[in-house]
Amino acid sequence: MNITETETGIKKGARISAVEEKERRLLTRKRFAFNWKMFGSSDKLFKLQIEDNEDILGVMNYIEMSDEKRIEIKLLACASENVGASKKYDGITGCLIAFACRSAKAAYGDLACVSLVPKTVLREHYINKYHMLDGGWQLYLEGAQMISLINEYLL
Amino acid sequence: MKTKKITEYSSQELAEAYVFPVKLTAKQKEEAARQLLQARAKTQAELTESDKQTSRVLQLRFRLEDYLNGEAFDPALTFGHFLKEYVSILGKKRKVFADEISVDETLLSQFVNAHRLPPDYMAIRLELHSHNVIPAHYWYRLVEKQKEHEIKTNKTLRLKEMKFVHSRVA
Repeated sequence: MNITETETGIKKGARISAVEEKERRLLTRKRFAFNWKMFGSSDKLFKLQIEDNEDILGVMNYIEMSDEKRIEIKLLACASENVGASKKYDGITGCLIAFACRSAKAAYGDLACVSLVPKTVLREHYINKYHMLDGGWQLYLEGAQMISLINEYLL
Repeated sequence: MKTKKITEYSSQELAEAYVFPVKLTAKQKEEAARQLLQARAKTQAELTESDKQTSRVLQLRFRLEDYLNGEAFDPALTFGHFLKEYVSILGKKRKVFADEISVDETLLSQFVNAHRLPPDYMAIRLELHSHNVIPAHYWYRLVEKQKEHEIKTNKTLRLKEMKFVHSRVA
């Protein structure tokens, strides 16, 4: 799994893992846009870091709907320096969504699905950038689109 | 560097950096669930057997990855266990699969039933057979994990070898 340093075009190895309890205080609204403190210790929070570096560059929360063989991404944010045209690293969001796909695929195989409820103005961008399919209120990844995203960002 | 406010970014920049919280009413949630179910049923119906198989092989890769990267050792999760699952995903008879990777069927059964540890060429052939979806070193590490556990926990071997060690460091 790689993210790209936008200034140099150099790819950097990245890893995603569960946010540890002591790291939760680092997820400030100033750097990660939302109130991450509302999540309890049983909520699934994942962080993206560059290999051999402890700095958190992106964070995501998802819930598992195992009866539907689906994971729903509830919240995701890149660190503020990785947003917009002057961002330091590119590919963080793609890696995090692909990681949710990997988790769904490992648990549910060919029935795996990842979905999110988008803000209306962002719908088309998620569809174009992350191969998401239109599921009405929700956008989702399944089948070939899911595998394609996993291949693009994780393998 | 001064951080821009969220409202100052274009919608494309926002989609590349965030998934925002969206609150739906109970009625909207119900509608969203129904719509998604409908859309997924259509996607699932369009999947070919080959698509499903690709997905299941990828699932096996991730499960193998998680097991190898975890600390825990499970005596049930042998090379043979995962090989059996791989053959089962393919939906092929063991003899047919053995022919496809040029291994004698009896030998394949010995690997599956953990009666014999696989040689290196098996890992390579399995990688090639899976179109590199399951890398050879995953199969290799599976055997290593098994051996590592054995060497860590084998008390009988320790007792047997004790007589050969005549002196020890202080």
